Amino acid sequence: MSDNDLAENRRLYVLSGLALAAMAVASWFIFVYAPQDALQGPVQRIFYLHVSSAIAAFACFAVVVGGSVAYLWRESAAGDRLGRAAAHTGLVFTTVCFLMGVIWAKPIWNWNPLDTWDARLTSTAALWVIYSAYLLVRRFAPSGRIAARLAAVVGIIGFVDIPVVYFSVEWWRTLHPGPTLTSLSGPQMPAPMVWAFLVTQAAVFFLAYVLVRIRYRLEQRKDEREAREVAAQLLPAREAR
Amino acid sequence: MRFWNAVAAVTLKDLRTELRGRELLPALAQFIVLALVISNFAFDMTPGITVHLSPGVLWLVLTFAGLVAFGRTFAAEKESGSLEAMLLTPAGPSAVFAGKALAAAVFLACCEAVLLPALAVVLGSPIDAQVVASVLLATVGMAALGSLFAALAAQTRARELLLPVLALPLWIPFVVVGGRAVQAAMAGQPIGGQGLFHQPLAVLLDFDILFLVVASLAARFVLED
Repeated sequence: MSDNDLAENRRLYVLSGLALAAMAVASWFIFVYAPQDALQGPVQRIFYLHVSSAIAAFACFAVVVGGSVAYLWRESAAGDRLGRAAAHTGLVFTTVCFLMGVIWAKPIWNWNPLDTWDARLTSTAALWVIYSAYLLVRRFAPSGRIAARLAAVVGIIGFVDIPVVYFSVEWWRTLHPGPTLTSLSGPQMPAPMVWAFLVTQAAVFFLAYVLVRIRYRLEQRKDEREAREVAAQLLPAREAR
Repeated sequence: MRFWNAVAAVTLKDLRTELRGRELLPALAQFIVLALVISNFAFDMTPGITVHLSPGVLWLVLTFAGLVAFGRTFAAEKESGSLEAMLLTPAGPSAVFAGKALAAAVFLACCEAVLLPALAVVLGSPIDAQVVASVLLATVGMAALGSLFAALAAQTRARELLLPVLALPLWIPFVVVGGRAVQAAMAGQPIGGQGLFHQPLAVLLDFDILFLVVASLAARFVLED
C-alpha cells in the first residue's frame, strides 16, 4: 500500500467516526429535543429518519444517474464506480425508509397490505427493485466495459420510470399523507420538530456521503486488482517474446 | 428513408422466420390457453367474481407472455450469432433495435388475438373496443421497453432471470393504467379520477411516446460494439 492509500484509509476512518457522531447528535434531537406528537405519540418520531432516509436514497439514485451519464458520454471509469457506490448506498437507505414506514404504518393505518399499496410505497418498491436489478446486471454481464454500459442504461431508464410509476399509482389510489414540510402555508409542524428534522436530514446526508465514499474506495481497489490480474496474465507472454 | 427501409427489413425478416419455422407463436398460444385454464382453477372462478378477476388475469397472462416473446426474439439471434452480423451492416443499431421491437410487438399482438377471445370463452369476460384499444396501446410501450431489456439481458449470462427483473418494474405504469381501463370497460362503468386520467387511453398513448423515445435513445448504447 502506498502512502496515498494509507492517507485515504485514515481519512475514511475519521469520516466514519464523524458520521457516527452526527447520527448520535441526530438521535438526541429526535428523542430528547423534539416534542411528543399530540395525536400519534412516540411513534411519530419515526418520521425524522423515515423521510430523511427517503430523501437521501433519492439523492443517491440521482448520483447513480449522474455517474451513468458520465460513463455513457465519456466512458468515465470514475463515473461508473460512483454509480456502483451510490446504488449500494441508495439501496441501504431505501430499505431503512421502507422498514421505518412499515413500523410507522402499523399503529397509524393499522397496516393492511391490501389498501396500503399507495403511490409512494409502490414507487419506492419499484425504485428498490430497479436498482437491485442495476447491481444484478453488473453481476451477470461480462465484466468490464459491457457491464458498465448495460448498467448505466438501466440506471438512467429506471430513474425516468419512477415519476411515471408514482403518478400512475397516485391516480390509482393513495393513502400516504401529503407533504407537511413544504406546503404553501409554511411547515405544518412546530419549530422544534422542523429543527430536529433538519438536523437528522443533515446527519443522514453526511452518513450517505461517507458510505458512498467508502464504497467508492472499495470499488476502486476492486478495479485495481482486476487490472493487476490482467497485467499479470499478459506479463509472461511478453517475457516469452 | 434508409432508416425505415432497414427497420422494415429487420421486421419482415423476423416475421418471415416465424412464418416458416412456426416456433414461437404456437407455443405462446398454448401457454396463454394453459395460463387461463390454470387461473380458472387457481381462483376458483364463480360467475360473481369473474368480473373482478378477469382484468387481472388478462394483464398477468399478457405480461408473462410478453416476457417470453421478447426474451425469445433476442435470445434466438444471440444463439445463432446473427445479432453481431446484423450490427455489422450499415443499418445501425437503432434501426436493428426498432425492427426487432416492431416484430416483437406484432408477436405480442398475435398473442392478444388468442388471449382476448380465449378470455371471452373461458371466463366469459365481455370484450369491447376499449379493452382491445387499451391492450394494443399498452403493447406498443411494453414492446419498446421489453425489447430494450431483452437486448440487454441477451448479452448477460442469466438472460431468463434478468429480463423479468428488469422489465416488470418498468411495466408497472402500463399495467396500472391499462388495468384500470380494462376493469372499467369490463364492468361497464365510467372511469373515475380527474383531469387527464379521465382518458386512460390518452395516458397510455403518452406513456407509449415517452418510452418509445427513451428506448430508441438507449438502444444505441445497449447494442453498441
